[in-house]
Amino acid sequence: MRNGFLFFLGLFAALTFSWAGIVLWSNQQLGTLTPYFDKDQEQAFPGRIPGVAAQGQLVYQDLGCAACHTQQVRRPSFGSDKARGWGDRQSVARDYVQQVHVQLGESRLGPDLVNLGARKPAYDEVDLYKLLYAGTPTMPAFPFLFEQKSVAGREPSDAALNFGGRLSPPRGIEIVPTERARALVAYLLSLNNPYEYPEARPVEPATKEGEAK
Amino acid sequence: MTTAPNVRPASASAAAASAEISDIDLVARGSLSLQIISGLLWLVISGAFALVNLIQAQMPAFLAECPVFTYGRTHAMAETAFIYGWAANAGFAVALWLLGRLGGNPLRSLNWVTIGTIFWNLAVLGGVIGIAFGEGTSITFLQMPRAVQPLLLVAFGAIAIPGLIAWIGRRQQATFASQWYVIAAFFLFPWLFSAAQVALLWTPVRGVLQAITAGWFVQGAWTLWLAPLALAPAYYLVPKITGRLIPNYDFAPVSFWTLVVIGGWTGGRHLVGGPVPAWIASVAVVSSVLLLFHYLVVALNLRGAFSKPSVALKFVGLGLIAYVLGGILDAVTAFRSVAVTTQFTWFTQAQTQLAWYGAFSMMIFGAIYFLTPRLVNQAWPSSPLLRAHFAASVIGTVTLVGALAVAGLTQGRDLADPKISFVEIAADTRVWLEVAAAGQALLLIGNAVLAFHFIRLTIAKVFAPAVPAAALFRQPPSMEASAT
Repeated sequence: MRNGFLFFLGLFAALTFSWAGIVLWSNQQLGTLTPYFDKDQEQAFPGRIPGVAAQGQLVYQDLGCAACHTQQVRRPSFGSDKARGWGDRQSVARDYVQQVHVQLGESRLGPDLVNLGARKPAYDEVDLYKLLYAGTPTMPAFPFLFEQKSVAGREPSDAALNFGGRLSPPRGIEIVPTERARALVAYLLSLNNPYEYPEARPVEPATKEGEAK
Repeated sequence: MTTAPNVRPASASAAAASAEISDIDLVARGSLSLQIISGLLWLVISGAFALVNLIQAQMPAFLAECPVFTYGRTHAMAETAFIYGWAANAGFAVALWLLGRLGGNPLRSLNWVTIGTIFWNLAVLGGVIGIAFGEGTSITFLQMPRAVQPLLLVAFGAIAIPGLIAWIGRRQQATFASQWYVIAAFFLFPWLFSAAQVALLWTPVRGVLQAITAGWFVQGAWTLWLAPLALAPAYYLVPKITGRLIPNYDFAPVSFWTLVVIGGWTGGRHLVGGPVPAWIASVAVVSSVLLLFHYLVVALNLRGAFSKPSVALKFVGLGLIAYVLGGILDAVTAFRSVAVTTQFTWFTQAQTQLAWYGAFSMMIFGAIYFLTPRLVNQAWPSSPLLRAHFAASVIGTVTLVGALAVAGLTQGRDLADPKISFVEIAADTRVWLEVAAAGQALLLIGNAVLAFHFIRLTIAKVFAPAVPAAALFRQPPSMEASAT
């Protein structure tokens, strides 16, 4: 390798080649993907993300939730994702077109969250606040997302949380979720992709599907 | 086409000593010591965060009240401090030293390195603090807040100037493997880093394309930046210390180009089964397997690392084992039938740690042990400290990687069974994570020992009278490259 110019050219070409192949080519394939308009329901899927949920996505990002939670369901024949109730179909690229910052995640120390809003039995806000406030044996608590306020000389706030039992605050103190907690919970509940896009349908081999029905 | 480092016969031992400690090394003392010491301090910081992170994995309540130390943030801080703090600083220092030596001239414009390194470290510090206070991006390898990332690019530009000058002004037209790897790392890093910044931070691509681009960048940062930075000193040290030509050197250029051309395509292996086109994972399988050729040639070329009882070579040898093993594991886990179990588990963490601590850090440690005495013209003061660091590195890496791998396989097996809850999975993996934390703690201690040893050596230099150079090195002078 005596020719420095050729050497640099080779390096440049090699990386450009992989950039073009992986990033530009998939951009060509998926970059123009739009939400799917369902004529019967007269609605486009996935829908826009509500403003407060979009803020919640930033909270999810800055706390680093993606270090333990994925947001992608694999197809039913590939892993136990469906059996664990994380989603009836595999996640497809269209699920994410409305998201500003996609966090597929790389680690499953906790459950997948891409369909958290569609769990059965369904979570409501108080369940999620309780999870965040108290944690579980496998998930840390996030107590700094809540404020403890004195109620001396005023009515308790409407937003005050009453978890009951061991988690009840001392007398004269109330627990109120902060703005960030509210945004985060709104975001988590907005995670819900039940719609079956055309490309998401062949989730299982045809024969199997026939048997199941 | 290429030549190995010029091996010349010795004329006299005095000449050998002056060749061993030449201007080439001495002029670079200040800037390169600054880079290495900041790298080592970041390594210790990263180890501390990684240890906290592993403890949190078993005891989620640990430091949970403190928003600065959520699990996600300690994870991001450990990664950032390792890659941009330790790996970049130390890797650049070793790379510049190699370019100077192999170029045959003293490095010039080293003030740029000093200034660049100061700004680089300020940017990393700002980035880590930013992550702690919630400004992080949650994108692997780009965790730092957006604002500091362009500063890293500019600082890198300054650091690379002397390297570029040394390359252009090299005395021999023909080049050696170490130079290819260094130049590739120096040239491809800004290309990769700026492209990833634009596509992920400044004008983010849409939807899952972000995950695809991030996968391309993460894999590229390893195969085109960090791995070349680690291989460059290995290719230099093995022939230099053993005094033998590199066996099967004819294959080295093909191996190099395999890494550069194919390496960028293997990023899709993390996206198996994900919401991306299936060809991305398929291309990753094919390219990971093709890349095995590169690992094979590297193993053949550098097998001399096991033939001499030198400290630097011991580290390089360890790094070589980890590097090749890591390549094989990457190829195996790219296959869908394996990925279905190992994906999303501790096993991927085991692979990461094998690459970071096992391959990269060991090879760079070898280089630091070799080049520092030559930079400061003083031998390492304490061989117990040296042995302590080596023992901690070996035992720590094996324990950490082994325990994480077992934890990952357990977790993968449990995840496949929908009846096993996350509480049970945590109970099953707990003991292995404890072992892994012990390994991480040992690595932390070992790296703190090296940082202390390095500081002691550089400070001792300031206060101690100079020892005649010939007394420091027992190597036959014939092993010196054409540095005079």
